[in-house]
Amino acid sequence: MTPTVPELLAGCAAALSAVPATEDAGLFTATRLRTVATINVLVAQECATGTSVRIWENAALRSVLAGAAPRYGAAYTEAASIGDGDLSLATLDDANAKLRRLLIRLHEAAEAADDTKFDRTILALYREMATRRELKLPGARAAG
Amino acid sequence: MTAADSGEPLSRRLEQYLSSLWNDNVRVINLARIPGGASRETYRFDAETRGGARGLILRRDPVGSLIDTDRRVEFLAYKSFHGVVPVPEPIVLEERPDGPLQRPFFIMGRIDGGTPASPFTPSPYVEHADAIGEVLFAILGRIAHADIDALPLAQCLKHPDPAECWRNALDEWEAIILRDERHPQPIVRAAMRRLRRNPPSPASRISVVHGDYRSGNFLHDGEGRILGVLDWEMVHFGDPLEDLAWCCDPLWNHFDAGRVAGTIEETAAIAIWERESGLRADPASLKWWKLFSAVKGQAIWTTAAKQFTVDHANLALAISGLYPPRRHDRIMADTLERLVEEGWT
Repeated sequence: MTPTVPELLAGCAAALSAVPATEDAGLFTATRLRTVATINVLVAQECATGTSVRIWENAALRSVLAGAAPRYGAAYTEAASIGDGDLSLATLDDANAKLRRLLIRLHEAAEAADDTKFDRTILALYREMATRRELKLPGARAAG
Repeated sequence: MTAADSGEPLSRRLEQYLSSLWNDNVRVINLARIPGGASRETYRFDAETRGGARGLILRRDPVGSLIDTDRRVEFLAYKSFHGVVPVPEPIVLEERPDGPLQRPFFIMGRIDGGTPASPFTPSPYVEHADAIGEVLFAILGRIAHADIDALPLAQCLKHPDPAECWRNALDEWEAIILRDERHPQPIVRAAMRRLRRNPPSPASRISVVHGDYRSGNFLHDGEGRILGVLDWEMVHFGDPLEDLAWCCDPLWNHFDAGRVAGTIEETAAIAIWERESGLRADPASLKWWKLFSAVKGQAIWTTAAKQFTVDHANLALAISGLYPPRRHDRIMADTLERLVEEGWT
């Protein structure tokens, strides 16, 4: 997915620490500073909501996967054992990656089976996942 | 490595190069790097010669970039369209990796008096949005109308089968996603499967596809005029609906769902494009290319995120990997639900 919070802040720190070339002064440096500020605003949002968003998403994925096990195979019951660990963003992301891989497989199976109803359930889940993950740029309106 | 830390200042290297090229005693002044996308370093400068001063732009290959693009193709795009639609005048292309500026580059004329809109600010064109929209989609129609065999671009671009344009495009960007994905992305995977199951009609003609034609990639004068279309790095021959769909992608709408590219309503934009291109934008095919646009976007953001993590050096890559992929996930998810409602399998 996107760069992690530590990676983003390392990039900002590197940008602010670097000695700019003579020709970088002016608009380029001003834009770089604005980018650092914007990244920090987005990182702040990620830190404020990222844990709850991931806990919600992982729970939603476990629920859909477990519900599919009777029809699509016992492999999906393993989702229940994928825990959220210490609730750090890193461990939540590790769990999320495992759950998402299972969801990709399950969606492919549902499509192959022409399971229209379940397909739509998964598509609705995608919309909810994407909505909760969105970030808001400073000064921007809600996405239209 | 920058010119500054390699011993010889970039301005001096440019002076030596241009003096030799023009057999003149060139003086480079006002050299300044400007934000110009994530795939090339961009500098503005003035070259003083015996004949007077000239405003120029240098586009140099970076050490790492958003996407691998061929500067020759970009240069030939400017050659193909200079005098046809507003683009900077191409001056010289230098492709040697160990050449006078240490990396390949090209130089083109500078267009003064214009600015690109930031793609994520509300209402950048204010009361001139209608005028900009009229010109924006008229230019795109004229690009689609161009006879590709008569253009310099034909020297280096492949002429695809009209029936295979969609597959070529999808194959290319899907491969990038699969290569660079760091975290599983179920939404874009679902979109790619759906695109393969519901292909569009063959391209009605093979056209020049700019590849990144959108708000933010042209200079406007603040009074409703477009002075220059920029950023042709991803130009190729293909289905012209690819550009139309990309320009209409909600990511570029400046948070106004009723105006494509923050300019005019989509129906008006398509009518202008059809008038200028002489083509019809088949609604069913355009839907395919719109969903594809989000997939292509996600591929660009995915590779940006991966490249940023290599050295954490390019913040343009960082922000590209952070904000737009989440909006494109939302756009894809909304579009998938709508298309399935409309009967996509």
